[in-house]
Amino acid sequence: MQDRPTAPELLEAMAAKLFAEVREWVPRERRFQILVLANLCAVIARELRAGAEPSLADARLFRELLRRPVEPAIAPQEADAVARATAAELAGAIRAGELDDRLDEAIGRLREHVARKLEIARPGYGG
Amino acid sequence: MREALAEATGDDPGALELSPIEGGASRQTFLVSAGGEPRWVVRREPAAGMSFNSLEVELGAVKAADLAGVAVAPTVCFEPAGGRFGAGAAYAMEFVSGTAVAPRVLRRDELAIARERLPGQLAAALAQTHTVEPGAVEGLAGGASDPALEACDLWEAELDAIGEPLPAVEAGLRRLRLNPPPPAEPRLVHGDFRLGNLIVDEHGLAAVIDWELCHAGDPAEDLAWLALRSWRFGNDDLPVAGLGETEPFLAAYEAAGGARPDAERLRWWEAMGNVKWAVICARQAHDHLTGARPSAELASLGRRICEPEWDLLQILVGSDGSGREAEQASGGVP
Repeated sequence: MQDRPTAPELLEAMAAKLFAEVREWVPRERRFQILVLANLCAVIARELRAGAEPSLADARLFRELLRRPVEPAIAPQEADAVARATAAELAGAIRAGELDDRLDEAIGRLREHVARKLEIARPGYGG
Repeated sequence: MREALAEATGDDPGALELSPIEGGASRQTFLVSAGGEPRWVVRREPAAGMSFNSLEVELGAVKAADLAGVAVAPTVCFEPAGGRFGAGAAYAMEFVSGTAVAPRVLRRDELAIARERLPGQLAAALAQTHTVEPGAVEGLAGGASDPALEACDLWEAELDAIGEPLPAVEAGLRRLRLNPPPPAEPRLVHGDFRLGNLIVDEHGLAAVIDWELCHAGDPAEDLAWLALRSWRFGNDDLPVAGLGETEPFLAAYEAAGGARPDAERLRWWEAMGNVKWAVICARQAHDHLTGARPSAELASLGRRICEPEWDLLQILVGSDGSGREAEQASGGVP
């Protein structure tokens, strides 16, 4: 256990400071770089708060699109690695034409995966 | 550099000051000042990382576009790799005053008149660019076969080189590959025509810059790229670079001599534009991760891949990729 503030709370404080104050201290033409850093802090804070659930949901979706059983269950600490490995398999299967007969379904359902990424990286974009 | 510029201009500029210009995707770009005045801009090949075209090809495209009437920054001199501009090949162009920062173009009061003129000027610049036959630019990539399928091949190969699994991009690419528009006659295509690569002053378009992604392709690619949501900077209801509506823009393109592509072709290339932007984001983040170009800004682009992915899937959902059903669903707008 660490004392508060928690990691997301600290990142949010950093984002606020960068956005509201540090931005004003740098020359105008470089302020964009501070905005990028402030935004990254906010992204990481949202990612930490969301925990393993988005990756677990992605792994389940990718298995479903690959017509694989949803089992075995995935441990939260493995969620990201499993999702990544399954994403690679799905990407390969799509490229190989193995999903051609259900490409509409894949295109429709993969919006769920992209929406989960947007909720962390750019809330409101997919709205 | 002073020697090279003196030789090219016939006039010793004196001591030079160099300052890096931000915002270039992969080429290194420097502002060169003499006596406190900005005089030239130097573009140089990076030591490592992404480069789609050699600098020689880029330079050839600028010259051909210039001859076709496109406003460009005039080239001053070229130095091969290991020449007087350093390790990478480089060229110097005249400094053109104005801004290429899109949010400034879209919001600054002093650019209000420019904003009114820009859609017509951009349409004309593209129509002029698209008069250039690929053979006019030595070494220009692409155009050997169907430009649409060449784009599928190019971005699939780039995805493989990066190695990040992006199933949404793959699904979009697959749909596009299975439903390409009829082959277009290849022309010079700028390849990255958006406000960030245009110098704008209070009169409007001053120069089209950054021809790094130029190739022989379908002119509709440039028209559709300009309409990507990522280049609207919040002005989501104005599809043409956040500046204007599609219909008057296409009418201006036609009036300037361009051949208007049909809505299905534009829709296909808009989807492909989102594929391209997603893959470029992944490539930039990859260049950070491999250490080729360490940069927090490039790293941050890895988390922007999902924006064009979303737009890609939204364009393709419920359609066969040619845009027919999507067009009907949205009331028949191209």
